[in-house]
Amino acid sequence: MTDANRTTGILSRRDILALAGGVSLAAMTNLPAFAQAAAKKGGVLKIAAPANPSSLDPATGGAGSDHSILWTMYDTLVEWDYDTLKPKPGLAKWSYPNPKTMLLDINPGIKFHDGTDLDAEAVKFNLERNRQDPRSNVKADLTSVESVEVTGPLQVTLRLKNPDTALPAILSDRAGMMVSPTNIKALNGDTNRKPVGAGPWKFVSWADNASIVVTRNETYWRPGRPYLDGIEFAIIPELATALRSVIAGENDMSFSLPARLKPVIDRAKNLQVVTAPTLYCIQLYFNYARAPLNNVKVRQAVNFALDRQAFVKATMSGLGEPATMTLPSSHWAYDKSVSTLYPHDPAKARKLLAEAGFKNGLDLTIGGYNDQDSVRRSEVLQAQLGEAGIRLKFTRGTIAEISGQFFATEKKYDVLLSAWTGRPDPSMTYALGFDKGAYYNAGREADPELVKLIQQSRESEDLTERAAVFAKIQRFIMENALSAPIAFQYELDALGTKVKGYVPDLLGKPKFENINLA
Amino acid sequence: MSLSRKRNIIVRRLLQAVPVIVLSTFIVFGLLKLVPGDVAVTLAGDNASDERIAEIQHIYGLDRPFLVQYGVWLWKAVQGDLSSSLVSSESVLSSIERCFPHTLLIVFLAMAMALIIGIPLGIAAASRPGSSTDGFVMTVASLGVAIPNFWLGMLLVAFFALDLNWLPATGAVPISEDFWGAIGHAILPACALAAGGIAEVARQLRSSLVEIMSSQQVRTLHAKGLSPSAILWRHGLKNVSVNLLTVISLLFNRMLAATVVVEAVFAIPGMGNLIVNAAIHRDFPVVQGVVFAMVLIVVALNLVTDVLYSILDPRIR
Repeated sequence: MTDANRTTGILSRRDILALAGGVSLAAMTNLPAFAQAAAKKGGVLKIAAPANPSSLDPATGGAGSDHSILWTMYDTLVEWDYDTLKPKPGLAKWSYPNPKTMLLDINPGIKFHDGTDLDAEAVKFNLERNRQDPRSNVKADLTSVESVEVTGPLQVTLRLKNPDTALPAILSDRAGMMVSPTNIKALNGDTNRKPVGAGPWKFVSWADNASIVVTRNETYWRPGRPYLDGIEFAIIPELATALRSVIAGENDMSFSLPARLKPVIDRAKNLQVVTAPTLYCIQLYFNYARAPLNNVKVRQAVNFALDRQAFVKATMSGLGEPATMTLPSSHWAYDKSVSTLYPHDPAKARKLLAEAGFKNGLDLTIGGYNDQDSVRRSEVLQAQLGEAGIRLKFTRGTIAEISGQFFATEKKYDVLLSAWTGRPDPSMTYALGFDKGAYYNAGREADPELVKLIQQSRESEDLTERAAVFAKIQRFIMENALSAPIAFQYELDALGTKVKGYVPDLLGKPKFENINLA
Repeated sequence: MSLSRKRNIIVRRLLQAVPVIVLSTFIVFGLLKLVPGDVAVTLAGDNASDERIAEIQHIYGLDRPFLVQYGVWLWKAVQGDLSSSLVSSESVLSSIERCFPHTLLIVFLAMAMALIIGIPLGIAAASRPGSSTDGFVMTVASLGVAIPNFWLGMLLVAFFALDLNWLPATGAVPISEDFWGAIGHAILPACALAAGGIAEVARQLRSSLVEIMSSQQVRTLHAKGLSPSAILWRHGLKNVSVNLLTVISLLFNRMLAATVVVEAVFAIPGMGNLIVNAAIHRDFPVVQGVVFAMVLIVVALNLVTDVLYSILDPRIR
């Protein structure tokens, strides 16, 4: 490890940010400009990617791990600030003339890789497709849109059913990745494997579970970009193997590594290590529609029984942040006053259990996954909750199996030990996880007050006002203990020494646009 | 042996293979449907909703009865269409075409190592049963059987790839593009796979050879005045060849299965990798395709073994 300074640099930057709030934001935006001045053009970056994409069509894919690969080929209408995820203009600038109308003004002169103009018609085509195509997985993201109208050669107007200020963030995700209409029409439904976007790199090839290759888009709209001539992804799901490929010099970068590999990176010579906070939240999901977790005291008891600091130390080698709500402390909508609700207090937990009628403790069924890291987490959890008299009966299996049993129709287990990967806008997190009928709300029930608050969080355009609503939502969720957040996982990446300029983002899904090879 | 008899054996075996293939794909399909989890949940993605999952089940025909789904798959497969991955829509046939050579290369290389090293060891041990050579070979063989191949694989990588930098640590190169590159990438995984094979070949060869050497036939050969080495090489080995063939054919099947683990350790995009990823997402066309291809290989191998049996030992019909 040769670049320890850089790591601490990133961490302290975040600390400053957390303390000073928005003030330091302006200073931070200078960073990419600085990187640009020093950047060298050319070279092909080799990356070990942790998963085969579900699809290279942003509308039909579904896995959270797809984004890092999709972003190489697709630019989004809206982008975000790396450190706070505050939305900023991408392919287009947005504005709200009134709460139920959103204007998108597209930057002039942008073309897709196949030469098609990225104009108002193309944007309308994309949004309509995302909204209505039977194969689209992003329909739910755009339910607030009533109609999409072309109001100028480079202007699109969205008429909304209800005010929705989460849309900018939503358009920084899959729904905002612009695909070439010419290409989609020509492919006639078989769109997964022949991507044409307007991103910095063009698609070359994809062999399932083996590799993805992209090459420079010579007509990219951002001057001076991209730096890299191309990127070659080697798909290596076994992360220890992925890291070995970087140590052996076969790949230049490996990302989303588990904390247990940190000592291996530290031991290796000629590797840079990058760690940074992310939204990835390890947490307990409750099925609070039925006994015993329909009792708020039982849910609170679980929250008091958790020793989050110890959890981070024991299962993440310290590479994490104790989670007191579903947003990490560096997020723009984080509310400090909520963070003190559940100090580690097993005695309090026992007392609450007794009040709920479980004097002799309580048995809970819990689902968990069978990979090495999940098993370790489940053991620590079992010990911590055991101290407060909560006995966990674990059933372990694959993610598809166990999460399906918990969230879908079977409704097995009282609790699920899993993670929330985070979303660009907090309201997406709450709508997907806590709203009435939401899939990730296993019980499907929701308090009307919470439903109203989630709705309200999309009404104002002003981030301070929105943050105030999110604070109320957080307080409601945590006071009612609708889940038990445990810890935010830090991103851990290993980079070869020639990789320069990489900037991690809070979403925890790396973008490679700033990287250049020395 | 007449040519027509050989043809009879082959035709009979091929006919027997049909129910084996149908039954094995049916059982695998059944297992995939019985275990919890649904490819529709994978397809619906991170922002899943109950309605969306139901909609996807309908689009992909996942809501149809189990037997209908299997029937549709089988009917297409019979016509040579192995369908496409439900998740990534890559055609299953092209996935297999790309992945199978990687897997076969490792298995063949491992097999070659097992025979080249295992046979001399077995002979050395059997020629002086109870000697210190015998003891040494059998100890090594026991170790070879006991060491898990994924652990051995990691040790090999740490030493030969990361420390010495002699061989690549991960990945694979298509043998059609770069012959020596492909071999270079395959050596370490093949070693990891071969350790158990070497041990098994040596042990089996030793025990059958020892048995033959103490038989009445060998006693008669001694009495006839044949030299011990002539007895071993000319008569002993010929007699154990049938046993050895059985070991080889079983070993091949086992190595094929073990590639699932070894490929993960070395990040080789072969059949093991393909089926593991597909099984995780319940992507049944891919799983079915891999099973189909594997069963074909195993059936073909058994066929070759049977024909060789009848050549080596005319008593076997």
